[in-house]
Amino acid sequence: MISILVSLVLVFSLQLLFYSWWWIIVIPLALGFIEKDSVAKAAGGNGLGIFLLWFGMSVYQWLNGGEIIVTRVSEVMGIGSGFVLALATGIIGFLVAALAGYAGFSLRKVVIKEYQIS
Amino acid sequence: MRLFKTILAIAVLGVLFNLLNNNQGSIPPLGKFLNPFAGFWQNGERQDQLEEVLDVKGLRAAVKVVWDERQVPHIFAENTYDVYFAQGFLTARHRLWQMEFQTHVAAGRVSEIIGSKAVEFDKLQRRRGLLMAAEQTINYMGGFPETQLILQAYANGVNTWIETLTPATLPLEYKLLNYEPEVWSTLKTALLLKYMAWDLTGRNSEMDLSVIRSALGEDFVNKFYPKDTPRTEPVIPSGKPWRFEPMLAEENPPAFEPQFIRDLRKAEPERDNGSNNWAVSGKKTASGFPILANDPHLGLKLPSIWYEIQLHTPDMNVYGVSLPGAPAVIIGFNENIAWGLTNAGSDVMDWFEIEFKDESYAEYLYLNEWVKSDLRKEEIVVKGGKTVQDTFAVTRFGPLVYFGDHRLDNGHPTGLAMRWSAHDPSNEMGAIRGINLAADQKTFFTALEAFAAPGQNFAFAAKDGDIAIRHNGKYPLRGQDQGKFVRAGRDTTGEWRAFIPPDQLPSISNPWSGFVSSANQNPTGKNYPYYLGWDYEDYERGSRINERLEAMNNIKMSDMQVLHMDNFNKQAQLMLPFLMSQLNQQNLSEVEVEILGDLKKWNYLSDPHEKAAWVYSQWWLHLEQAIWSDELTLFGELRELPARSVTAELLLKSKNLVYYDNINTAEKEDRRSIINIAFQNTIEVLSEELGAYGETWELGRARGTNINHLLSVKGLGRPGLPTGGGVGIVNASKKDHGPSWRMVVELGDRPTARGIYPGGQSGNPGSAYYDNAVNKWVAGQYYDIHFLSSPDVTDQPKLSMTQLRNYQ
Repeated sequence: MISILVSLVLVFSLQLLFYSWWWIIVIPLALGFIEKDSVAKAAGGNGLGIFLLWFGMSVYQWLNGGEIIVTRVSEVMGIGSGFVLALATGIIGFLVAALAGYAGFSLRKVVIKEYQIS
Repeated sequence: MRLFKTILAIAVLGVLFNLLNNNQGSIPPLGKFLNPFAGFWQNGERQDQLEEVLDVKGLRAAVKVVWDERQVPHIFAENTYDVYFAQGFLTARHRLWQMEFQTHVAAGRVSEIIGSKAVEFDKLQRRRGLLMAAEQTINYMGGFPETQLILQAYANGVNTWIETLTPATLPLEYKLLNYEPEVWSTLKTALLLKYMAWDLTGRNSEMDLSVIRSALGEDFVNKFYPKDTPRTEPVIPSGKPWRFEPMLAEENPPAFEPQFIRDLRKAEPERDNGSNNWAVSGKKTASGFPILANDPHLGLKLPSIWYEIQLHTPDMNVYGVSLPGAPAVIIGFNENIAWGLTNAGSDVMDWFEIEFKDESYAEYLYLNEWVKSDLRKEEIVVKGGKTVQDTFAVTRFGPLVYFGDHRLDNGHPTGLAMRWSAHDPSNEMGAIRGINLAADQKTFFTALEAFAAPGQNFAFAAKDGDIAIRHNGKYPLRGQDQGKFVRAGRDTTGEWRAFIPPDQLPSISNPWSGFVSSANQNPTGKNYPYYLGWDYEDYERGSRINERLEAMNNIKMSDMQVLHMDNFNKQAQLMLPFLMSQLNQQNLSEVEVEILGDLKKWNYLSDPHEKAAWVYSQWWLHLEQAIWSDELTLFGELRELPARSVTAELLLKSKNLVYYDNINTAEKEDRRSIINIAFQNTIEVLSEELGAYGETWELGRARGTNINHLLSVKGLGRPGLPTGGGVGIVNASKKDHGPSWRMVVELGDRPTARGIYPGGQSGNPGSAYYDNAVNKWVAGQYYDIHFLSSPDVTDQPKLSMTQLRNYQ
């Protein structure tokens, strides 16, 4: 739960300030790296955190003056509705962040292990 | 194993990043695009944002902007600089992407945005010399400080807006295509104006006419491609005497047969670019004041080509439509006058076949000597690819637009150079500024003198009662038929040496008929002493407008609106009874009998629900093809067909004509048989296309109008609009062309005006004002225009205000 919240809040703050989408890679990668024990927390926590953030923010934009643009882009992309589009946005966020979290976690294991051996 | 998994995870992450960060073909970079903090999710628009105070750097004083219920900005500034600065700032706010994209198209820089598939387009566009012409224009502006000030103020306004943008507030199309706006410059405005000039004057049938003359002879061309087409009522009525001593043009040189044969028309602008305008004098109106109407027919796109605006300073108050990317009002009115434009159609572009010494194109033959050409090097930057180098020659006959893989009989390389009036320096922006300020006919006509290209028929009406029309532009002095065919660029014959003086251009003021009008037809009768060109619009629209205006008295603005939407098909009225009389009734199928019944009942109104209107127009096209496509398919391409009115006249008058026979069949076709064959083919083709005879055959459904997005992105356009009208009809709505701005202005103590264009003020597909006018436009409705005299809006609840404060 905490890992979900940490990744959500961190990425939210950074994206508000600096916009770039790839914060959903950088932060989960870092959070994954400092996660010691659980691969589920590293991958799942980050994934869910970003899913909630991107899905939630999409829905917020949609409901706050975004009805027209969401309808049009749904048509451009051949997607049935704004809800599906928001869901797709969330899922892409989930996949990227979960993978990044996993990669960070995995990297730690490799780096720390090698450090211990030497 | 752990190491392998880690490397794999990081590799997959890298691939994913790359996929989501870059365009994949036409798919936008999904990571960026779907990012709810900066992607398309941020392009929604709340409607309550316009009551605001903005601090704007670079203004000289405070500016008040009143927004009306359609988001038309009414700009109140204290000085000239600020009013155009604000115009640039606000136009960019609504239309930045469109403004920039159009200038990239004009400059041949599309590859930078969409990649290698646009390289050939970019090459051609650069060889046409639009950029060269725009650069010259900007240099020339150096001599006109006021014009320079206006262009610079506008550019500064645009750039001030661009500086406010964040990744989140970028217009949608930048996000779709994954690029960012660059700094706006006065050159970009010049490019836009040159692009408009090309769109309106770039169509040319010289190559086709040369090929036709070579294959079928001089007589064929003279007979079927005349300057004076049947039934045409010239813009300036034939009876008008010309009281000046004309300059003498040279005799026509002997015919020349080009060896460099191309089909030039595919890359040329649409024939459908046309327009209507007219003005009626106070003696024919209910109010006693003149009324002016205009509807320019252009390609219909979203965002719209026009942006409505009011500009107010202590010495100016003007309202109308502007081109996003250029300052001032192009078509509109002020407190004293109103004006409207139609395309002139006179010939301002000639093609010359040039003989070069070798493949370097560095020297060409002129007056029996090798003359150096000016080699212009171009770099075409390609998104996701290598920069392409291109070099083309500029000769005294203009830039070499088409060349390569062809040699003359003597082995020398050759190509086609384009001499175009818009390549010469001129100050259209200064002219437009003068028009915006004009107070009467004299000041209006004086302003027009600087408007060289594109040539336009300017209709004019003034509060003081004057009405007038002028076939305006910079037209070369030509011998008869000079410019109708490709010429050899080897000597002085065919060169442009002088231009028709402005005071000798065709124009008329306050004619006894009480009205003036134009619809792209031949500007003058036979007694006008100069040859201006030959390829004008047919008679139908012009003659319909004239017959309606003649019949009307006590005219009100609403009568002019009705005339804008007039769907009467004069060509059908002329031809349909005759064509039906030629049908062999006994051979008709059941459905053909039913269709013929509907054609007989038809009142020639091409209304959206009319099936007969669509059937007739297709029948006519099939018939034209049946007559001409065998003779006129030359060098593998179907060449320019004779005008509708010429073919119509032949059919009505000549029972036997060698051209009726299809030379590719064994049978001998005659007039009756080709009319029957064309009818049956039409029904067959339409049945296949539209299914059983029924609703799908209605004009508004079978044709209708599609207003596509500029990039043709599905979902951002408005396809399938049920419009009526068509070719040769006053309401010139077509498949993707049509009345791009309908305006009616009644002069008076204060002018009253109505107008509409098929789109909306905002270029943002996420705004309610992106396409809000489309349905009303289809229905032929208008908006009442608010022509404000002060920014005080407290008593008008529909209006809101933005204040632009000068911020240092």
